[in-house]
Amino acid sequence: MTFRRKLLAVFALTVVLSVGAVAWLVLALTRNAFENAENQRTGALVSQFQREFSRRGDDVTRQVEVIAVSDPVSRMATALNGTSPNSADYFELAKSMADSHQLDFLEFLDEHGTIISSAQWPAKFGYPEPAFDSVSALKGQSAFLKREELQDSAALGLFAVQATGVGEQPVYVIGGRRLDKNFLSALDLPADMRVVLYQNRSGHFSPDSLLDPSAAGTGPTRPAEKFAPLIEAVRQSNQETTGTVAWSSDAADEEVFHAIPLRGAGKDRSSQDGPLLAILLVGNSRRSYIELKRRIRASALLGGGGGMVLAILLSSWAAARVTRPVEQLARAAQDVTAGHWDTRVEVHGSDEVGQLAESFNRMTAELAAQRERLVQTERVAAWRELARRLAHELKNPLFPLQITVENLMRARAQSAEQFDEVFRESSTTLLAEISNLKAIIGRFSEFSKMPPPQLQAVQLNEILCGVAKLFQAQFQAPGRAPITCKLELAENLKTIAADPDLLHRALSNLVLNAMDAMPNGGTLTLSTHRDAGKVIVDVADTGTGLTREECERIFTPYYTSKQYGTGLGLAIVQSVVSDHGGRISVQSEPGRGTTFVIELTDNLEALQKVGAAQHAVDNA
Amino acid sequence: MRLFVWRWFAVSSVIVAALAGRAETRPQYGGVLHVATRAAPMSLDPADGAQPDSFARRNLTMLMFDTLVTTDDSGRIQPSLATSWQTLPGSQRWQFRLRRQVKFNDGAALTAESVAASLRTANPSWNVTTDEDSVIIDWDNSNPDLLAELSLSRNAIAKRTADNKPSGTGPFHIVDWQPGKKLALAAEENCWRGRPFLDAIEIEMGRSFRDQMTALELGKADFVEVAPEQTHRVTQAGRRLATSSPVELLALVFARDVASPDEKLLREALTWSVDRASIRNVLLQGAGQSAASILPNWMSGYGFVFPTDADLPRARQARAQVRSIPTWTLGYDGSDPLAHFFAERIALNAKDAGLLLQPTPAPKADLRLLRIPLQSPDPWVALADVANLVGSPLGKKKGGVEDLYASEVALLATQRVIPLFHLPVSYASTSSLKNWSLRPDGSWSLADAWMANARQ
Repeated sequence: MTFRRKLLAVFALTVVLSVGAVAWLVLALTRNAFENAENQRTGALVSQFQREFSRRGDDVTRQVEVIAVSDPVSRMATALNGTSPNSADYFELAKSMADSHQLDFLEFLDEHGTIISSAQWPAKFGYPEPAFDSVSALKGQSAFLKREELQDSAALGLFAVQATGVGEQPVYVIGGRRLDKNFLSALDLPADMRVVLYQNRSGHFSPDSLLDPSAAGTGPTRPAEKFAPLIEAVRQSNQETTGTVAWSSDAADEEVFHAIPLRGAGKDRSSQDGPLLAILLVGNSRRSYIELKRRIRASALLGGGGGMVLAILLSSWAAARVTRPVEQLARAAQDVTAGHWDTRVEVHGSDEVGQLAESFNRMTAELAAQRERLVQTERVAAWRELARRLAHELKNPLFPLQITVENLMRARAQSAEQFDEVFRESSTTLLAEISNLKAIIGRFSEFSKMPPPQLQAVQLNEILCGVAKLFQAQFQAPGRAPITCKLELAENLKTIAADPDLLHRALSNLVLNAMDAMPNGGTLTLSTHRDAGKVIVDVADTGTGLTREECERIFTPYYTSKQYGTGLGLAIVQSVVSDHGGRISVQSEPGRGTTFVIELTDNLEALQKVGAAQHAVDNA
Repeated sequence: MRLFVWRWFAVSSVIVAALAGRAETRPQYGGVLHVATRAAPMSLDPADGAQPDSFARRNLTMLMFDTLVTTDDSGRIQPSLATSWQTLPGSQRWQFRLRRQVKFNDGAALTAESVAASLRTANPSWNVTTDEDSVIIDWDNSNPDLLAELSLSRNAIAKRTADNKPSGTGPFHIVDWQPGKKLALAAEENCWRGRPFLDAIEIEMGRSFRDQMTALELGKADFVEVAPEQTHRVTQAGRRLATSSPVELLALVFARDVASPDEKLLREALTWSVDRASIRNVLLQGAGQSAASILPNWMSGYGFVFPTDADLPRARQARAQVRSIPTWTLGYDGSDPLAHFFAERIALNAKDAGLLLQPTPAPKADLRLLRIPLQSPDPWVALADVANLVGSPLGKKKGGVEDLYASEVALLATQRVIPLFHLPVSYASTSSLKNWSLRPDGSWSLADAWMANARQ
């Protein structure tokens, strides 16, 4: 991955993470805000319910007090305290009094708790009031919650108790108002909130016990069974509980309900140990929150997406602006690597990148100067080596020539008969040495005239086999230690484009070198294999090996470690390999043999170009 | 002298007061009597069996129509349109000689054919023939109760017309008829019994007991019905009140026969669970009589034999023998406010015994709370009528009280009916309405009544 792409990725990731973090933060804050608002609204509604509960209770208490001191009730109490009491005359009194005082429940009981008259269940006259013992103790106190059994159902109501003060036998007045949908509907509810009352009639959840003022609306169907877990939780824990009711798969239909247990009067006249008569469910719709959350998420996604696109564009621009000098430096470095020592980069500004560019330019200038000096030095060294070689090569034949000429001159001066013989022998010697000189000059000339490779499709294995076959006789030549030649050729080695003659010559030079390195015999191994798309040729001997310094200089022209030789053999090999676009290296240690490694490409593209050019020439 | 003057003045005052009192009690012609009834019949035809039976309907019928025979206050048969009658031994043929010179309200003469036609319409199964001025009724078997049946209002002689205004021979004829709402009657000048004192009677129908009492108090009605539970209050208020003998049976009537031994036990449990005493004391305010028999004691003489007290342990014992308890619907008349309380109380009593009753004003129910006006002071006729009503007609009739008792016990054994109360019928009137009487069987006659200070 390029530096620019990395930079781009970093920028884009930064933007995405930033947008995500902001969205998460906003969502978290929104959730907290909604939870706080919901808690506040629920608390306000509960307080409102309690105020309404208390107000209705006070109203009921007041009405019951008024009824208890009213004339009809006083007359009834007086009559029932008389000598021949007949409660039958007051059978319908509770109904009429309840109607006139707008009470849903009203009963008159005698001192034993027997019903004299009942508004809610007129036919129950003469029956005992089941809750008389606990209820009569609450006379004159504030209203309390009570479940009233009716003919075919039960109802929940706010009740108050009073006793008439006429006579020794009081008449108890128990009046109340129904805690029903109308009561719940009277609550001023904020938007998205509602109140449901569950009447705890039996030990298990019953949908019929739910009083839901909003149930008659045209809203979505809300099965009452969904409340069952929350109701059961309140029953189990016996305390206020909060739960979420999911009406559908859509999260926006969810409602959070705060369930408050409502108790009746207990034994100690308080509601602490009283029976659980009802559960008030204060519901808060999560629709607005969910929709806001969705809007925030959509905005975050939209903003994040747009931000990412913008970030990519800006990052691209910024990365390009930042990385352009770096890329120029990288390309310049590559150029320097390729040998363009005079490479320069533009210097933009004086920042770190600019300073780096200036340093690079100074470095390349210094490298070029050093290289120039090195070239000069090597050139001088080469010339010196050439001169030494030439002197050495030329001195060897010149000395016999000088001796021969001196012998001729001496023979001419001593005797004519010997002169002819000496002349004949000296001539032969002179011709031989002159021939030797011509050979030396020819080799130098040949090195200077190294021909360019004539590419053709060749099988490297075949060339190696040819070389091995050529030298096979010399490996086992009498008078020298035998050399074993091993061929380890890769199968299915692909064809490469090369000049077979030059390669044959180069490989022959390496084989000759190996034979020279193994005066005591040994093993010569010729092997081929493929590596990373290249064809590798190894020429390994088990000879004396080379020192590290020799390895570094062995490909230098006219350098030789041998007593004889021009020092051009390996130079020619390197030249051939280099002309084929290949590379040659040496691995050696003294006493452990030497291995020359030739790396060649298939170079088939070059062969096609050559073929195309040849075809064009032929057409022309 | 002074003492003489004072004595003369005192004696004169007494004489004047006495004469004034006599003038007040002397019948006066004229006046319009305003009557209110709770019943709201849709037809005035005496033979229309589709109309609910009620004492008001019977009495209104007798204002416009006459029967062949009638009963007096003692329940004895008296001549009416028939001046005499005779029967062959075995009571299989009855011959009635008609009163002469009697005309229907439309002016047509009463003939044997018209009487026979009327009786055939009312009783299609009867074999009614004529012989000059006599009507002959033949029976396959002995029918000693025919006279009592003929005295019933449903057998009143009517001449039917197409305009739904049947013509009779009674003291009043129809002037205006709005079915179920209002009936206006005018005095029949040529009534064979003589012209009635009242010029007209206007009857408002379908009025509740409360509305009737209000109308009476406001002077908009002169003669109203009084619910049994209201009678003591009317008396306490100083109103004129007339109450009959208990002639109305309030009972639970099952829609079908007992279908299984379990159901028999449950019906028995229901019978024992009803606390009649409390209901009578509170709901009826002491009016009427608790009843476990169909016929009231004054009619049969043995009504006291049937125990009326609730026996909850016995009811629970019977109920405990049944595993599966059905919920019975208890129907009641929704227009009767007291019936609702009755039904609820009975359901409450039944609940104490472990039974399940669901009161409903719907017309279809497993059992219904019915007010059954006893048809006749004749116990056989009354019992037979109740038996027919509850769907268990009596078998062979015999004449003795033992047979009557046996028949009633047999009818009760069917468990189709559970008697609860025998209720009287009561009427209140203004003080200006004079000379009207309520007979023990609940019938009244306004033919001889007159209005004091009647407006001409």
